[in-house]
Amino acid sequence: MTASREIYWNIHGHSLMYLLFIVALVIFGYGFYGKYKLWRIGLPEKRTDDIPTRIYNVLYHTFAHRRIFREGYPGSMHGFIFYGFVIFVIGTAVVAIQADLGLQIFHGNFYLWLSLLMDLGGLAAIIGILMAYYRRYVLKPERLDNQRDDAYSLHLLLLIVVTGFIIEGLRIAATQDPWAAWSPVGMVVGSILGGLSPETIKGIHKVFWWGHLLLAFGFIAYLPYAKLFHIITTPLNQFFSSLKPAGALQTINFEDEDLEHYGISELEHFTWKQLFDTDACTRCGRCQDNCPAYLTEKPLSPKQMTQDLKAYLASRGTAASGVSAGEGEAAEVAAAAEQQPLVGGLFSEDTIWSCTTCRSCQEQCPAMIEHIDKTIGMRRYLVLEESKFPSEVQTTFRNVENNGNPWGVGFADRAKWAEGLGVKILSEDGDVDILYWPGCAGAFDDRNKKVATAVVKVLQAAGVNFGILGTEEKCCGDSIRRIGNEYLFQMTAEENIETIKSYGIKKVVTQCPHCYNTLKNEYPEFGADFEVVHHTQFIQELIDTGKLYIEKPEALDVTYHDSCYLGRYNNEYRAPRNVLQRIGASIREMERNLEKSFCCGAGGGRMWMEETLGTRINEERTKQAVATGASTVVTNCPFCLTMIEDGLKEYEEKGIKAYDIAELVAKTL
Amino acid sequence: MNILVCLKQTFDTEAKIELKDGEISTQGIKYIVNPYDEFAVEEALKLKEAHGGEVTVISVGPERVQEALRQALAMGADKAVLIETEQDDAYATAKLLAKAIEGMDYDLILGGQVAIDDNSSQVATRLAEELDLPQVTIVTKLDIDGDKAICTREIEGGSQIVETSLPAVITAQKGLNEPRYPSLKGIMQAKKKELKKITPEELGVEVESKVETLEVFLPPKKEAGKIIEGEAEEAARELVRLLKEEAKVV
Amino acid sequence: MAIWVVAEQQDGEIKKVSLEILSKGQELAEELGVELEAVLLGEGVADLADTLAAYGASKVYLADDEQLADYSTEAYSQVIAELIEDKEPDAVFFGHTAFGKDLAPRVAQKVETGMLSDITAVEVDGDELIFTRPIYAGKAFTKSKVLSSPVMATFRPNVQELAEPQEASASVEEVDVDIDEVRAKVTDVRKQSGGRVLLTEADIIVSGGRGMKGPENYKILEELADVLGAAVGASRAAVDAGWRPHSDQVGQTGKTVSPNLYIACGISGAIQHLAGMSSSKYIVAINKDEEANIFNVADYGIVNDLFKVVPVMTEEFKKVLDK
Repeated sequence: MTASREIYWNIHGHSLMYLLFIVALVIFGYGFYGKYKLWRIGLPEKRTDDIPTRIYNVLYHTFAHRRIFREGYPGSMHGFIFYGFVIFVIGTAVVAIQADLGLQIFHGNFYLWLSLLMDLGGLAAIIGILMAYYRRYVLKPERLDNQRDDAYSLHLLLLIVVTGFIIEGLRIAATQDPWAAWSPVGMVVGSILGGLSPETIKGIHKVFWWGHLLLAFGFIAYLPYAKLFHIITTPLNQFFSSLKPAGALQTINFEDEDLEHYGISELEHFTWKQLFDTDACTRCGRCQDNCPAYLTEKPLSPKQMTQDLKAYLASRGTAASGVSAGEGEAAEVAAAAEQQPLVGGLFSEDTIWSCTTCRSCQEQCPAMIEHIDKTIGMRRYLVLEESKFPSEVQTTFRNVENNGNPWGVGFADRAKWAEGLGVKILSEDGDVDILYWPGCAGAFDDRNKKVATAVVKVLQAAGVNFGILGTEEKCCGDSIRRIGNEYLFQMTAEENIETIKSYGIKKVVTQCPHCYNTLKNEYPEFGADFEVVHHTQFIQELIDTGKLYIEKPEALDVTYHDSCYLGRYNNEYRAPRNVLQRIGASIREMERNLEKSFCCGAGGGRMWMEETLGTRINEERTKQAVATGASTVVTNCPFCLTMIEDGLKEYEEKGIKAYDIAELVAKTL
Repeated sequence: MNILVCLKQTFDTEAKIELKDGEISTQGIKYIVNPYDEFAVEEALKLKEAHGGEVTVISVGPERVQEALRQALAMGADKAVLIETEQDDAYATAKLLAKAIEGMDYDLILGGQVAIDDNSSQVATRLAEELDLPQVTIVTKLDIDGDKAICTREIEGGSQIVETSLPAVITAQKGLNEPRYPSLKGIMQAKKKELKKITPEELGVEVESKVETLEVFLPPKKEAGKIIEGEAEEAARELVRLLKEEAKVV
Repeated sequence: MAIWVVAEQQDGEIKKVSLEILSKGQELAEELGVELEAVLLGEGVADLADTLAAYGASKVYLADDEQLADYSTEAYSQVIAELIEDKEPDAVFFGHTAFGKDLAPRVAQKVETGMLSDITAVEVDGDELIFTRPIYAGKAFTKSKVLSSPVMATFRPNVQELAEPQEASASVEEVDVDIDEVRAKVTDVRKQSGGRVLLTEADIIVSGGRGMKGPENYKILEELADVLGAAVGASRAAVDAGWRPHSDQVGQTGKTVSPNLYIACGISGAIQHLAGMSSSKYIVAINKDEEANIFNVADYGIVNDLFKVVPVMTEEFKKVLDK
């Protein structure tokens, strides 16, 4: 006799199930359609190219849980629930295939293993759910806000699993199932309930079976109205996530004559994907937990922004389509949202200007929500339409316009730093293999000129045939683009690209990761076709290929600060560390390192703004660096170097110094 | 109220000044709106926002000056007039401006108190004379009260409060306001605004220079900073002496 | 034939700049063989003619009238222009001050002549006067002449050397005053007292950074600033530390200033600070750290403890400036 079980054991009139299922689907469909209409408020945007990569992203982030597992407790908690329910879905599907399609597969070893797996899955889910209760209601981490929906969702999940086990246990008890051992949890439940009379068991079983069914269908119907909707929206959001380089902001096409507004000031100015993002958010708070602005008491939480936008969107929905705006807090926000503008109302200008574009929110978000383009979009509106920004930013704009650098030093002096160093200037001698791009900081800032000089020393020691643009080089535009001045950025970018191309340059080495990111990831959209590497990458290459010989390695005791634009934006964590090891340094890692590295505070144009709210980000980061006990803080970015040196002035007595990697390398030659 | 703003296009403040054939080289020079004139534009726009009316910007100079006028239009001025000529004599400029302004309808004329390039501080005042208008120069605060303007005028060691009837010519000093940054909307709209070009011939003004530049030269290169040696007290005294006698800044 | 100096008076005193121009005017008048004469306007100012004589004016045109009690462009320019048309001097000089800048061009246009501003040097070439003046914020200079008559110019204060006053007297010619309409009137004059000059408008700025060690130490900078009539600034480090208000901050994200003299005390000279003050005409750096960037842009530097240097400077300035 082959192992199996009777599917509708003890159940009569199960065709009612189909009717209920349809009802559940209709309720689900109604909610989904309401949401769909809201997403459609957004602008069109193509997110369906390169399907294989998109599917891979879903597998990687949903089924492999890669980002979720970065955190131990919340990761395993979610993993237990997720994989448990994945097994249920598979099991239920198998049952459906047999019952409704008549395909006889629910028997034999397959049946036994599946039964075991489903029991283990259910057990895992229960563990996960209990962990969630414990975390949410006992541990109460700051990043979680508790809403009624959270409780309902957990109760619902728990009840579904528990009722499932009870049904199984009752069936095992009543039928004396010979394969009970393959359903260990059910067997235990069965043995507990086995003392009841067969009639009682059957009676209870009926009640629970229908109860379980109602809960499961209720779950389906409830989805679009609850955070459980993320079961659908989050994988979709991963599927639709941007495949462009992380460091390339969305571009405004100024040639478009139908363009009537710039940036984002109303719901209609978001893309549908940006609105969809809000439904993929589960309020897990990973973004907030890693946001340098939030952690230094600025009025910015990426999570709150996503949630506020969701409520704002929902309030529009209530007005337009009668879709519920949710309950409790969300409803209040929604009600308030109807009367306030998006920019300066829902999101205060302080909130919008607090972002350093460090990208930690996006890097930590398991749902692949894209925060930065939204914030930059609102900045664009403020700058391009309203001309409203922190007053000091105007100087920056003017300086870039008039002198091609944010400090406003006369552009004629841009090559001065290189005088006497024997560096070719392309307008005088264009025969070079490499264009070295010191950037504004390397060219004008006394501290960072030392770094530029060190890079030159390294390149010369390795026999690289390189040159600089000198006075023809202009600010790359990273800061001004991120402040929202897309117009000035595009003008600057186009000029630079034209200059670089006019010399037939094939490869550019930048000193600054901001220049690196902009030249590499943003310039191609405006016609750039040259390779761009950061100096740490190039130095690694020079060492690896034997062109650069480290003569005097030094056993330095350092901590290394991952800059946002080299690390998170361009995924380069190895090269700088490799170079440091090659020159003999040993690295004491900071607690927040690699993709969780903490911003220095200068990104996103914040370098050019006062930091008047909360505490200072650079001081927070410096504190973390000092805590490692290392005697040297190593950076790869002129902004970070400036910010951390500033921060270190508080620790003068410790004698800790900050250097760029290039400076340390130059010392060992 | 309708306001006229006289503005000049000048070299950028950070521009490197070099000589070529005995004249200031304009190669690679970035031109900007004279910063003091920009204060005047901003003040005009503020007054327009408060009192209504129209702001017209007017300039004298070569064709490139259009850019400066466009910037003022982008900031929010309504119309622009360029008197196209290469000459830059203060006397003649005032004559040209006066002639162009004669037929216009205005309540106030604003300008910068000085242009950072030729450092003359003359045109606005000469214009006031040509138009027989009262003038208040070097103004750091301006209030309009009916048909009167109440100005705070910067003088050595203090300030004067000057009251004038309107129309009048008022020149802006740093501190009057913080000029706005034109929005992209403004820049786009500026492209469609009226920019009228006229020539001295059309105005019937024969331009005549009253001064002649004989030579342009660069100051001796600033020497590298001087480190004053010695004990603190001694060095402090020497520094005071140098500031008074060598640098003559106190 | 005469060179005129239009004297500027305030509170019963001739301003120093007028005496400087007279001092220079003596030399020029001698070389050209013309008279040096002064024009004095005001109310109750007749006594001041002697001062003008002491600095070389052989004649003083005195317009003493209640209508001239307060300065007014219209009244003053009318009197002077009529006088010029009447007497036809060869040259008319003013100080390049708020008074001269306001008045001289207006007079020049009235008499339809050319004028040169902000003169730092003047020489005689034959029977012509050749003026040197800065343009482009002092990054270049021109030598120019005026083609029409009279030659008019405004002289930069504190540049021409002051001659020794002589025992002399001048003939005084009273000028009839009959003013048409005055539409712009001075209603109040406010002296700077107590409150300090605004940073952005100050000719001299004394600024302190992290090297000040604490807010209480700014007192020594304030004392120095009081003697110099200067404004007090701060670097970002000092503002961030909460020692000074943000309105005092000089630099990229603070105020941009370009005074004639900037005295940086205990400021390292990060680019963000330099961006706000590097166009100052003269920069003085006082810092213990000889490696500090600020010395790269300073005209004068003292590598020493600012707490030892600044108080001595204050005392010394008091002496040399008679305060």
